[in-house]
Amino acid sequence: MNAVAARSLDDRLNPILVKEVRQALRGRYFRALFWLTLGVATLVGLSIVANSVRSPGAQVLGREFFMVMFGCLSAAVHAFTPFSAFLSTSAEWDENTHDLLVLSNLRPRQIVYGKLCSALVQALLYYSTFGPFLVFAFLLNGVDLAALGAILFVSMASCASLTLLGVALASLSAAKAPRVVLMALFGIGLVMFWGMSLGMSSGVVYSPQMLREPEALVMLAGTVVSILLAGAFFAAIAVARLSHEEENRSSGLRVLSVAIVISALAFGAWMSWGHSAPDFAWGLQVAALFPLAVAWLFFLTEPEPLGRHVRLHVSRNPLLAALSAPFLPGGGRGALLMLLHMLLAAFGALACMAFGPVDPVRRSAAFFGLLGVYAYAWIYMGIPAGAASFFVRSLRGRVVTRMGIVFLLPVVMLGPLLVGLVLGISGLSDPLHPFNPATALGALMDSREMTKLVELALAALTLLSLALNAPRMIQGVREVLAASAERRAKPVERS
Amino acid sequence: MALLDVRGITKRFGALKAVDGVTFQVSPGQICGFIGPNGAGKTTTMRVCSTLELPDEGDVLIDGLSVLGEPREARKRIGFMPDSYGAYANTTIHEYLDFFARAYGLQGAARRTTLARVIEFTSLGDLTEKYIDALSKGMKQRLCLAKTLLHDPPVMILDEPAAGLDPRARVELRELVKALAQLGKAILVSSHILTELSEMCSSVVVIERGQLKGGGTVADVVRSVNRATTLFLRALAGAEACERRLLETPHVLNVRREHEGVVFEFDGDLNAQAELFAQLAASGLQPVELALRDTNLEDIFLSLTEGKLQ
Repeated sequence: MNAVAARSLDDRLNPILVKEVRQALRGRYFRALFWLTLGVATLVGLSIVANSVRSPGAQVLGREFFMVMFGCLSAAVHAFTPFSAFLSTSAEWDENTHDLLVLSNLRPRQIVYGKLCSALVQALLYYSTFGPFLVFAFLLNGVDLAALGAILFVSMASCASLTLLGVALASLSAAKAPRVVLMALFGIGLVMFWGMSLGMSSGVVYSPQMLREPEALVMLAGTVVSILLAGAFFAAIAVARLSHEEENRSSGLRVLSVAIVISALAFGAWMSWGHSAPDFAWGLQVAALFPLAVAWLFFLTEPEPLGRHVRLHVSRNPLLAALSAPFLPGGGRGALLMLLHMLLAAFGALACMAFGPVDPVRRSAAFFGLLGVYAYAWIYMGIPAGAASFFVRSLRGRVVTRMGIVFLLPVVMLGPLLVGLVLGISGLSDPLHPFNPATALGALMDSREMTKLVELALAALTLLSLALNAPRMIQGVREVLAASAERRAKPVERS
Repeated sequence: MALLDVRGITKRFGALKAVDGVTFQVSPGQICGFIGPNGAGKTTTMRVCSTLELPDEGDVLIDGLSVLGEPREARKRIGFMPDSYGAYANTTIHEYLDFFARAYGLQGAARRTTLARVIEFTSLGDLTEKYIDALSKGMKQRLCLAKTLLHDPPVMILDEPAAGLDPRARVELRELVKALAQLGKAILVSSHILTELSEMCSSVVVIERGQLKGGGTVADVVRSVNRATTLFLRALAGAEACERRLLETPHVLNVRREHEGVVFEFDGDLNAQAELFAQLAASGLQPVELALRDTNLEDIFLSLTEGKLQ
């Protein structure tokens, strides 16, 4: 590469990437963990090879050797690297550099992208360091090429996604105390993920024939797509959090949440029509509920009024303004978006299953079962958020509402069970009691109907939730239309 | 046209009104001192001006661009130096400035030229390979100022830039700020060291409990605080003769001897002041010095504020 090209490339590099890599490579954290990981891998690897005289064959030795090496590599790329991204983002608050970044020309997504790239560069150093060990394991027949490729592919995607989760978590709060709690939870989560990754990898290594089954590639693709979608979701959260007050923090995340539902539908349709597996259509929608629930928690509890800056950017066209309402910030508009998600998921799944080899009864059960699962979301999130919207105005109130919602579900799910166990009431000691969303999920999976009473209660409570949220949903659309009218009334501003 | 035009901004934090309808302007080449007791709303106002906080009411125009409507464009014209500046670990001065130059979108030769210019202006040339962690407070302030200058902003907002600096570093910083004003930049600077501000500011804005207590050129503010102008007279006839004569003159108040002359206050308008000068010249006192006394920002500050915190 000539000097001009090198300079041109240098200019195009993300500034955060340049800074972070410089800092990381000079910092004690990376150097210490790098040499520690490498040292442990070398020692354990050597001890396995030294004991190989007692091993029944090269393949067993190779598998053991691979699992040890991958264990060390996985610790580095699935724990140390994402944790380093968390610390780096956290340091922007602690070192008062967050404001300086905001004031520069860097956009929040460039900051997040720079942090991700920097983590990937560090991960790449680990991959290249462990490369010869993994090749050695392959030469010992410990792992076949397909398994090695699949494991490394999923591992890289997971590293990116976990890094984005770390950045998102560290960006959630400028205050140190909540970040310390998040750091501890993230650390525990990473250790758990490390264990899970080892378990899954050993499954692939010890049963490589599973990769030769026709569904394996689809499952692998589905896993990677899900991991990357989760990563995109975390990135959207981080971008929203790193955006400043005057910027619209909500719309990007709202658009992504709809993209998650549509992606799940597209994959479900593909599985239903192309692979005769119609249950994917609703199964993926249920899986999508987990990230969506996190998003709803924030959407439903946002302050109702449109910010002054956002008002300036509402479409002048009243139709476009009305259509954009669910994607604009505000709790009422968040409830509108949740309604849109529910309709899209239920009717979309129904459409996906319509062309697959499934009988109408099963289709109908899946449709109502999915609505049932959504009904729980309306009850546990919509009712408290809707009720709080009548009197909560402060940030503290909104935080309390969010915490209340987070704790409500486990309390309601486990409460009757505990009471039943303690008081010996057999009717309550069944974990699948009507308060538990798993009841609807179970009915959905087994194609059985819930009792009429439960159905009625669910319907009534969902209607109550919708009724509580209806005034703010209507007001939310009205406000957008009013902002659109204001913009039409004013002369065109300088762009 | 004012480069920094603050128009009735109000900022609330819950029930607290941190800034309440504050309005002022800073023109090109002007250094405006922003003074007020702790908790008066200075930093909040500066953060609103820098687009870091959104005003609940009102607006701020930076070179004609609204911080509400066009915050990204407005930011390109602002150089904000916060009171708690940020520094990265394991980073040298050159790397730090290079990072922010990249972050401001400077590329290639333009970036290298800008870095050299800013480093020379702030006299950091001998320290470029030094780690930031090892710098003194004064050098860190210089570095922060250098970072603020990278994108050559027409409006500079400096929050307590002299806090914690030794006298030499303060003088050096003051000279840098004056040099920037001479380049036509509009500078808003807050400080607790009022003598420091009085030596460099051409105008002041006084704020207390979020409300504007006074503003304008230093002379205007002095006049609004105390309608009387303080003058010093020295004449060959001696201090006593001067004192006697002045006590008989209309609009003259509080005459007192000081050194070889007298200090007195004059509450007449400009016409009366011109008439006074003519009378003194014709009086036989043989005046050799008649001068306006240096304005004292501490007096203005104490007169305008009540020392109440919110």
